[in-house]
Amino acid sequence: MIAESLALGKRALTKWGRNPFAILVTSIQALFWLALFGNSFNPANAFSSSSGGSLGPLQGAFGGAATYITYLTPGVISIIALTGMSFMGVDLVFDRLNGYLDVLRAFPIPRTSIYFGGVVQNVVKGMVAAPITFLIALAVPDGLRLGEGVGVMNLVGIFATVALLTVVFSMFFTGIAIAVKSTDSFFAAVNFLTFPFMFTSTAFFPLSFFPSWLKPVAQANPISLASDAMRLLVVNGTFSPSQVSAFIGDWVGLLIFGLVFTLLGTAMARSALRAR
Amino acid sequence: MSEIIDVRRMTKTYSSSAKVVNDVSFSVDEGEIFSLLGPNGAGKTTTIRMLTTLTSITEGEAFVGGHDVRKEPGLVRENIGVLPQEVTLDNELRGVENLLLAAKLHHMPNTMAKERAKELLQLVELEESGNKRVATYSGGMKRRLQLITALIHQPTILFLDEPTVGLDIQTRTKIWDYIKQLNADQGLSIFMTTHYLEEADQLSDIVSIMDHGTIKVSGSPRDLKESLHGDILTLAVEDGGEDLTEFLRSIPNVTEVTRTDDSYRLKLPRVESALPTIIAGIASKDLKIRETSFSKPTLDQVFLEVTGRSMRDAQEGNGHSSGSAYGRGTR
Repeated sequence: MIAESLALGKRALTKWGRNPFAILVTSIQALFWLALFGNSFNPANAFSSSSGGSLGPLQGAFGGAATYITYLTPGVISIIALTGMSFMGVDLVFDRLNGYLDVLRAFPIPRTSIYFGGVVQNVVKGMVAAPITFLIALAVPDGLRLGEGVGVMNLVGIFATVALLTVVFSMFFTGIAIAVKSTDSFFAAVNFLTFPFMFTSTAFFPLSFFPSWLKPVAQANPISLASDAMRLLVVNGTFSPSQVSAFIGDWVGLLIFGLVFTLLGTAMARSALRAR
Repeated sequence: MSEIIDVRRMTKTYSSSAKVVNDVSFSVDEGEIFSLLGPNGAGKTTTIRMLTTLTSITEGEAFVGGHDVRKEPGLVRENIGVLPQEVTLDNELRGVENLLLAAKLHHMPNTMAKERAKELLQLVELEESGNKRVATYSGGMKRRLQLITALIHQPTILFLDEPTVGLDIQTRTKIWDYIKQLNADQGLSIFMTTHYLEEADQLSDIVSIMDHGTIKVSGSPRDLKESLHGDILTLAVEDGGEDLTEFLRSIPNVTEVTRTDDSYRLKLPRVESALPTIIAGIASKDLKIRETSFSKPTLDQVFLEVTGRSMRDAQEGNGHSSGSAYGRGTR
């Protein structure tokens, strides 16, 4: 199944690689998020004394991030993973509408490899955006300021976290893409699911900003789990014991989501691809 | 010859609808070209989808390449090549990339796949275009590429669903030549659906006529046409001659003779075999033939005979919608 999934993933990536527009959009998407929301949502705007984008008295509430963009960057990386993974499945919807999915179903391959092929290509595409976002965040004015002692291992940890998040969302949305019968249904489902994930998360603001009834949802949201884990790595060169537990907690949460979404996505794909 | 496809009382019912395929039985011998002929909506595509494991069988049994379609779908898929009704290639990939992807999904080693791809591109005269994106291909080129994509792994059975639908006559003839060549040179067994009478007539060893989900009649195109009791020969002789009715009736195999003035209409199994005797007989009576014409029975007449309506009427009755169960278009 691995060879077939990789072959199908390669098919999509070959096409994507020949589409400079798609790559360009993926790249500049991060710039929009950081330049626009990084400024318009910036709580430092409220302080006339604020200089250099510093969060000032709010720094503690924002997990020790020196600037709002430092806080926002892990959130933007997570949001781009979410939107990327949710909409990239549209290729599979078109494959169904064009009859290509039936052609694939007539090959002697496990039908779930069609699903995992979709996951592979989405994850690779999604992973391209993460380092670009990171570099843009470092480059923009009042941008990302890495904490003292942040090194290569932190960067590895950041990209491992975003890789896990893309897998989590790809498992879920690829299953939906295979299961739906039309583009209308696909976009309706994606829009319905994307916004709650986005706005009930700590991508833009810390948990303390949420009303108490929404806090448990925000805390368990995979966007929050990934953003918070990445933030720990961006801000801290070394972890305190409580930060270690928080980081492990975030990863365990993401792994649970990964498992649940894999089971859910595989079940949706199996059901949609079986002979009826 | 052994049976490569064996279908026993196969039925397909979708929930809340009538039987799309109803109690169908037939078999295809190894090395045979078998056509399912019928109007759109007859149940041909559903039949091919069941045999290629894409649609489940509600009742009955089907064996393809000796494997039970219901119980061993994976083994069935290893042995078959499928050409769907619509063009289903990846437009953004190059021709050769489409072939190599298909080879990969059939678990072929890379070197073998590349050699086979080259050989097949030559077969359908696409070797010059193999490295171009499929989006730049004409409709005929896409169909040829799609045909060889189904052949990349050297299947023992090739399923063709309306292989020439929507193609111009030149491309259609070309595809027919490839199909004949594959069958003759490689002994490939071919199962085909079509609503083109000429296609079924020219290519098939056996034709089964399907309508409203059931098979009405099966046989070789010649046998089916001969079952209508033969060709019609019309002869017009010069004025003033004797009545030739009795003479013509005495010719072996002539089953019916009717006279209108100086014209005679004869019904006989095969005009070609009796024509020399007829001409010689008339000449021996010092009569000259002014005009001759003959018509052979067509599969449309066979369709009319077994369904009570012509294929054209049947197509119109079904709205002539060629909605593909495989979807439509190219990627």
